[in-house]
Amino acid sequence: MPIEPIRTTFQIQLLSHEQLNRLQEATLTILEEVGVRFPSQKALAIFADHGALVDHDTQIVRIPRDLVRRAMATVPRYFNLGARDPACDLHLQECVTYFATDGCGVETIDFETGQRRSSVKADVERMARVADYLSSIAFYWPMISAQDFGRAAPLHELDASWNNMGKHIQSETLMGEVPARYGIEMGTVIAGDKDELRRRPLFSVVICTIAPLAQDKEGIEGALLLAEAGIPVGFLAMPTMGTTAPSTFAGALAVGDAEIISATVLMQLAHPGAPVFHSLMEAWADPRSGAYVAYQAKARCRYAQIELAHHWGMPALGGAFGTESVNPGTWQAAADVAMDPILVSLVGTEIVTGLGLNRSYTLLHAESLILDDELYHRARNTLMDLEVDDNTLALDSIRAVGPGGHFMAQEHTRKHMRTMMEMGVTHQLGPDGKYRDPLEVAREKVNWILNNHQPEPLEEAKRAELSRILAAAGRELG
Amino acid sequence: MSKEEIITRLAQSVIDGEPEDAVELAKQALDEGLDPLVCINQGLTAGINRVGELFASGEYFLPDLIIGGEAMKAALAVLEPALAGDQERQILGRVVLGTVRGDLHEIGKTLVGTMLTANGFLVTDIGIDKPAADFVSAAREANATLIGASALLTTTMPEQQKIVEELKEAGLRDQVRVMIGGAPITQGWADKIGADGYAEDAISAVALAKQLVGVPV
Repeated sequence: MPIEPIRTTFQIQLLSHEQLNRLQEATLTILEEVGVRFPSQKALAIFADHGALVDHDTQIVRIPRDLVRRAMATVPRYFNLGARDPACDLHLQECVTYFATDGCGVETIDFETGQRRSSVKADVERMARVADYLSSIAFYWPMISAQDFGRAAPLHELDASWNNMGKHIQSETLMGEVPARYGIEMGTVIAGDKDELRRRPLFSVVICTIAPLAQDKEGIEGALLLAEAGIPVGFLAMPTMGTTAPSTFAGALAVGDAEIISATVLMQLAHPGAPVFHSLMEAWADPRSGAYVAYQAKARCRYAQIELAHHWGMPALGGAFGTESVNPGTWQAAADVAMDPILVSLVGTEIVTGLGLNRSYTLLHAESLILDDELYHRARNTLMDLEVDDNTLALDSIRAVGPGGHFMAQEHTRKHMRTMMEMGVTHQLGPDGKYRDPLEVAREKVNWILNNHQPEPLEEAKRAELSRILAAAGRELG
Repeated sequence: MSKEEIITRLAQSVIDGEPEDAVELAKQALDEGLDPLVCINQGLTAGINRVGELFASGEYFLPDLIIGGEAMKAALAVLEPALAGDQERQILGRVVLGTVRGDLHEIGKTLVGTMLTANGFLVTDIGIDKPAADFVSAAREANATLIGASALLTTTMPEQQKIVEELKEAGLRDQVRVMIGGAPITQGWADKIGADGYAEDAISAVALAKQLVGVPV
């Protein structure tokens, strides 16, 4: 099924120009005065070579604002995310928002037994096939972790994805130089050669920063290698208000933005022009337990930070969906997330994760992906341009019916009634002539996709080559 | 200020979360010749117990607990060295706490440490990015009965399993209980690797630690 991104000409502006300047100024002040910890000799050396103030004992780097500005000037505003199936290549651009699945869950409700268990590679494979089928999904975050493969899991997640779908893959677990090197090798096999992989990067990687104001050694060193190969990398800050960030929204944005920008500056200093995207997903600390709270009643819009990314001249990865509800089909499961796809598109986000996980991005019910897909299409339809023309105004029908009649006998009605309503999961007829339980419909759809959708398989030689690389990686990583 | 008043104010400094006041009052108590163990038990411990009650009733939030715990810790640093040779503060258990190798996440582990300290455990925090062997050797040195290991990444979770395995190899598994936590951690993972318990957050970590050392929760 072709990808159906959200295209909209509507736009909202959540922050004023002055507010954006003030936030950016806060980031520059943090980078210059407080600094960010980079526990990597390679990163420290690059910063030192370019005139940043490096304290090798504390591993804290303070970056003068003119150096930040200079480095940020080379970040590309848009770039392409390639796919194994070229028809699924994504060209990041204005007014188009591409969505992915959610990723990196650790548990699943087994689709056959209904038992809750740790996720394995076979789950990544199955969900890749389901995601490949859905038009809402433009690119794939391996939805759960291939925990049956230890430290080589991120590479097995790539393998499971490429073998079961044609879309762009975005890894959120490929950390460190060794896994990154193997990942690039796998991507090169699929693409054909390194130049083609650079031209149409078949995968990208999201690296989490560590709030507050620190980077991960493995993440940063892997990112440097990926950037060198032309693989797009994104830095994802997840400041939690009240624990790892101030308990105010602007303060959390400033901390998260400083983490992202410091890493982006490093990439640009090492590899000017490297494709990098900005991602800031703040959360709240439960005031009583410190637990991660993604959704709450007094939440400010989750998407002001997208405007901050654009203010820096970078594309943004937004976070949508990922309800805290453990079970699908509950009031909370929809209430948490239903506004997300509309708002994230209205602020002009280029790429968005992700549909399909429950319990704050940790638990997979396969049915949830179908229910989120439905919410996605509701949002997409909401944001489509209205058609106001002679045909849709239907004045002839209105004249013919006049006051007090009905429209059911009109040919115009007969024609348009077939398409006026999207018969989604809430409007599927059961044998009793009544609409069925949406959760049951969702489950049936997953089953249907798994039984009927078979993406174009990878060529045998490439599959064999991937297996060889995975075996080598398994030996090296353990 | 009377001796009773100093002890009452010591308790209040913990309830109010005023570390500087707590230190001043502790020094004053020693200057006035008060028994440091009495100051700890009737002042600081009474104060932290009240903080716990206020938290339980919903009036206090996490920062109140943390800052109260810091006030207690600051005053303890003054009072404990003054204890007589045969005096010892009553503790619920000795805990070695850290984040596993390859993982630099600190906040969750530190929060658990503060909460355990405030609840009467003696905590040795070995820091972040620590291999399994460091947990085991620290537990041996500290004569600990509990290890708490944090992992925030799916790729660093296997290191928690190594701690359980290395404790067995060191012959310490019977003496040392292992509790694990971190965003990707589940009870299923704890069961799989043979850990003694999993806690979702700092509050349940305290309850779990008490349960593992046999103290009523």
